[in-house]
Amino acid sequence: MSTRTDRRGRPLDTGPGRAVVVRSARSPLLVGGLSLAATVYVALVDPNSPGHYFTCPVLALTGMYCAGCGGLRAVHDLTHLDVAGAWNMNPLLVLAAPLVVLAWVRWLGRSWGSGGRPATAASDWRSVRSAWTVLVVVVAFGVLRNVPALVPWLAP
Amino acid sequence: MSDPNAPQDPYTAGQQPEPPGGSTTPPEPSRPPMPPPPAAPSPYGSQPLAYGSQPPAPPPPPPPYGSQPAGYYGQSAYAYPKNSLGVWSLVLGIVSIFMCGFFAAIPAIIVGNRAKRAVAEGQANNGGMATAGVVIGWIVVGLSALAVVVVIIVVVTGNWSTFNTTNY
Repeated sequence: MSTRTDRRGRPLDTGPGRAVVVRSARSPLLVGGLSLAATVYVALVDPNSPGHYFTCPVLALTGMYCAGCGGLRAVHDLTHLDVAGAWNMNPLLVLAAPLVVLAWVRWLGRSWGSGGRPATAASDWRSVRSAWTVLVVVVAFGVLRNVPALVPWLAP
Repeated sequence: MSDPNAPQDPYTAGQQPEPPGGSTTPPEPSRPPMPPPPAAPSPYGSQPLAYGSQPPAPPPPPPPYGSQPAGYYGQSAYAYPKNSLGVWSLVLGIVSIFMCGFFAAIPAIIVGNRAKRAVAEGQANNGGMATAGVVIGWIVVGLSALAVVVVIIVVVTGNWSTFNTTNY
């Protein structure tokens, strides 16, 4: 493989090579691609009209809203830049969406190249804290949105 | 959080301000309280432990896994830089029970298997959590597949309208 150069003739820092880069980043790229495809589908096929998607089994079986209830409609609204509508459907998703995108970007950046940066005790601790936080927030949101007094704000 | 007995305190290190846009956690009004750091670095280094076994020797015996989330915080994370994988596996598994089904359960299985590999390499000591996440993940995958089969049968037999009154 000949050394590629930029316009001034300096050798480009191609790092570990394109094949290695793509291989090490294939997980975030795969997840991102699938998520993007699903988002486009939800954007095009309106979940507000019945018959397009399966009923949530939690709602069908228990009659209660889970933390993801209204998620498809919120994604649909977000893709149409209707933040208020999305907020009415699922405020947690509206808050979490930018964080999820950010986390994905960092995941991609971390795995771009061979191996990426090694995990440290500090980064691992932050990740552990994030995991427990996600669990607490999701469960709390799922409970609170079924409280009758909070239904107007949190239920879809 | 300054403990003279803990020269390399990972808790304070984790508390340092992150770079802009560094946090991936959703906003939360009340974070779990930070526990006091362990009295001493764990003496067992990076020695791998069997799945689900308790560290045998350390002076402050950790509480059993799964008793409550706070049980984790009392344990040393010094020598195990990949313990977060097991925690994420368990969290994704639990979340997959309530919502998302496949979409949380499959990542729980993948992350859980990576956590088990980390345990085998001595980079994590929470194999029990990883096993729990993997098992929950497979159970949810099985139940979800069952639900898909039931829905297909319902559609084929023409009773779809009874299931299709609402859309989520």
